[in-house]
Amino acid sequence: MKRYDLIVIGAGPSGLSAAAEAASKGLRTVVFDENERPGGQLFKQIHKFFGSKEHKAKVRGYNIGKQLLQEAADAGVDVVLNAPVEGLYPDHEVTVRIGDSLRHFKGDAVIAATGASENMAAFKGWTLPGVIGAGAAQTMMNLHGIKPGNKVVMLGSGNVGLVVSYQLLQAGVEVAAVVDALPHVGGYGVHAAKLARTGVPFYLSHTIVEAEGEDRVKGVTIAEIDNKFNFIPGTEKHFDADTICVAVGLSPMSQLLKMAECDVPDDPSKGGQAPRVGAFGETSVKGVFAAGDVSGIEEASSAMIEGRITGLAAAESLGFITKQELEAETAGLENQLASLRRGMFAPGNKGRKITETDEGIALSESLLTQGYVADDEIARFPGVTKQRGIHPVIECTQNIPCNPCQDACRKGCIRIGKDITSLPAVDTDSQCVGCGLCVAACSGQAVFLVDEDYEEGYASVTLPYEFLPLPETGARGTALDRSGAPVCEAEVVEIRTSPAFDHTNLLTMKVPADMAMTARFFRNQKTESEAC
Amino acid sequence: MLRITEHPILGAPEKGRRVEFTFDGRTMSGCEGEPVAAALKAEGVMIHRYTSKRHEPRGIFCAIGRCTDCVMVVDGVPNIRTCVTPLHEGMDVRTQYGVTDRKDFGEEAR
Ligand SMILES: Cc1cc2nc3c(=O)[nH]c(=O)nc-3n(C[C@H](O)[C@H](O)[C@H](O)COP(=O)(O)OP(=O)(O)OC[C@H]3O[C@@H](n4cnc5c(N)ncnc54)[C@H](O)[C@@H]3O)c2cc1C
Ligand code: SF4
Ligand code: SF4
Ligand code: FES
Repeated sequence: MKRYDLIVIGAGPSGLSAAAEAASKGLRTVVFDENERPGGQLFKQIHKFFGSKEHKAKVRGYNIGKQLLQEAADAGVDVVLNAPVEGLYPDHEVTVRIGDSLRHFKGDAVIAATGASENMAAFKGWTLPGVIGAGAAQTMMNLHGIKPGNKVVMLGSGNVGLVVSYQLLQAGVEVAAVVDALPHVGGYGVHAAKLARTGVPFYLSHTIVEAEGEDRVKGVTIAEIDNKFNFIPGTEKHFDADTICVAVGLSPMSQLLKMAECDVPDDPSKGGQAPRVGAFGETSVKGVFAAGDVSGIEEASSAMIEGRITGLAAAESLGFITKQELEAETAGLENQLASLRRGMFAPGNKGRKITETDEGIALSESLLTQGYVADDEIARFPGVTKQRGIHPVIECTQNIPCNPCQDACRKGCIRIGKDITSLPAVDTDSQCVGCGLCVAACSGQAVFLVDEDYEEGYASVTLPYEFLPLPETGARGTALDRSGAPVCEAEVVEIRTSPAFDHTNLLTMKVPADMAMTARFFRNQKTESEAC
Repeated sequence: MLRITEHPILGAPEKGRRVEFTFDGRTMSGCEGEPVAAALKAEGVMIHRYTSKRHEPRGIFCAIGRCTDCVMVVDGVPNIRTCVTPLHEGMDVRTQYGVTDRKDFGEEAR
C-alpha cells in the first residue's frame, strides 16, 4: 500500500487548489480523478467566469482548469487521471480503480473534493432516448464536438440551464424554450438576458407534461402549473424537438464521506446530503476534510478558496505549518469567501425572494419572469446613463460577485467599488474612448457601447458576439431588442476581434437613432431562419 | 449533421483519424478515440439498448459513465458503457436487448 501525506479526491477547482496549497507547504500530495482531463466541472465550461481577478474572473472555465493544473504540477503534486476512487475508510485508506486493478493507498490526511452530481426530473417519457442531462450536453458538444441534437428544450433556468442553453446556441443547436417550474429565473439575470435577446423564449411556472415520441424524443408538451404544482388545463404548449435537456440542480457527491463514517446530514441549503464541516473544511472524522461543491453547492470561485483553506488545514493537522500560520494565511481567504457570499445568489439567500438590490433599486420583474429587462425598467440602473458620444451601457442589474468590467476600463468609466457584489455604475465624468475592452471582459455579456450621435439620424450599438458565422462589415440584417423581437433594420459597421478579447467579437451596428436603447442583438439576413 | 466543424470559442475540434466500425452489422464511420456513443450520435443512432423487463428503449443520458443507460454489446461483450469507451477501427457495436444482442432478449436460449 502506497502512502502519501495527503490524498485529494477530485481534480476540480477545489481539489487542485487544495493540493497545490498543501504541496507548497511540503506535503507529499496526490490527486485522483475519474476523468481523463483535470478541472472537474471547469473543463466543460467555455464561458468567461464571474468573480474578480484573484478568482480568475473573465477567464474561460477550461482555461482556469489548465492554470490550476499547472500550479499543482509546479508545486509537485501527482495528478492521477482515469482513476475513480471507489472506497474511503475511516482509517484514511483509499481504494482507487486504475486500469483493471483496484489499488490501495493511505493518506495521513484526505480531502474529498468530489463535487456534485446532477439531479433528475421525472415526467412522462423521461427515459426516452433524447432526454439527457445538461452535463451530458456539455460533454458531447464541448469535449467531443458533437451536437446533442438539432432542437432542444431546456428544463431548468438555474445557471447551469442558462449557461448550457447558450453553449447549445454557440454549437449551432436551436433552443426552442427554457422551461422552469419556479415562477422566477433561477440563475443570474445576465445569463438569461444573453439568451433572451437571441430570441429564446422563457416559460416560468411551467413544466414538462410529456416527452413525445415512440422510441425517441420527437416533441415536448409543457404546461403552466399552479402553486400546488398542478397543471393548469388549457395552458399546454407544444414544441417540436429532438432533445430535452434536464438542468434541475446539483447534489453534493458525499457517498465517499459517508463511507468514511463522516457525519453527513441532509441540508437543503447545501443542495442535499453534505458533510458537517468546520471553518477549515474538517469533517467529524479526524484527518478527513471536504472542500468545494461536495460540502455545499456553490461556485468555482468559492470552491478554489475553500480548497486552499482545507489544503492549509491539512498541512497544519500534520504539523507542516503551525496553528498561527494557518490562522494568518486563512484570514485573507476567509474575507474573500465572505465577500463572495454577499450577493443575492449567496447560499444564505437561497429560496428567498429578493425584490430590490443592495442599492435599494427595485429589481426588474421582467428579467425574473421573462429573462430580459423591459425597456421601461432599464434606465433605473446605475450602469445605464445618457451621454453625448460613445459610452458604455451596462445592463447588469443584480448583485453578483463579479467585477471584470471595472478592471477592464483604464479610463475609470466603470465603478463597482470595494464591495464586489455592488452594481456596476458608469461614471459620467470619465471620458470613454470606445476601446471595447469592457464589452469583451464582461462575463455576463451585459456591457454595450452606445453612440447616439453616430450619424445624423443614426446611432451605433456595439455588442459582444460569440457565434458563427461572424457577420462581415457592411452586412445588413435585423436588430433584435432585449426580448429577441425584431425591431429595425441594422447594418454592421465594424467587427473587432483581438486576442485580448479572448474569442468575444465586438459587433458594431448602425440603427435608427431612436433604437439606441432598444436594439441589443444582430441577426444576419441570410441566417434569418436559423437559431441565432 | 451533428458534428461541429468550427466552434466560435473552441475552434475546430481536435479529432482522431476516421475509422470504420459496424453498428448491428451496418458499416459506419467515426473518429478514432472518441467515445463510441459520440460516433453513434453523429451517425444518428439514438437507441443503444432495450431494458430487460419492459423492453423500453434507452440512449445516452449522462455521457460520463454514471447512469449505464448507454450500455451496448461491444465486440461481443455486453454492458459496455459506450459513452466512456473509445472507438477503434473495426469495432463491432450492437444494440443490447436486456443483457444480450438478440432481439428475442435471449428468450430462445432459456
Ligand atoms: C454549466 C455550469 C456553469 C457554471 N458556471 C460557473 C461560473 O460562471 N462561475 C463559477 O464560479 N462557477 C460556475 N459553475 C460552478 C462550478 O463549476 C462548480 O461550483 C465548481 O466546479 C465546483 O468545484 P469542485 O472542485 O468542488 O467540484 P467539481 O468541479 O465538480 O470537481 C470534482 C471532481 O471530482 C471528480 N470525482 C468525483 N468523485 C470521484 C471519485 N469517486 N473518484 C475520482 N474522482 C471523483 C469529479 O469527476 C470531478 O472531476 C458552473 C457549473 C456548471 C455545471
Ligand atoms: S469602451 Fe473602453 S474606455 Fe469606454 S468604458 Fe469600455 S473600457 Fe472604458
Ligand atoms: S457588467 Fe461587470 S459585474 Fe456585471 S456581469 Fe459584466 S463584468 Fe460582471
Ligand atoms: S450515458 Fe450514462 S453511462 Fe453512458
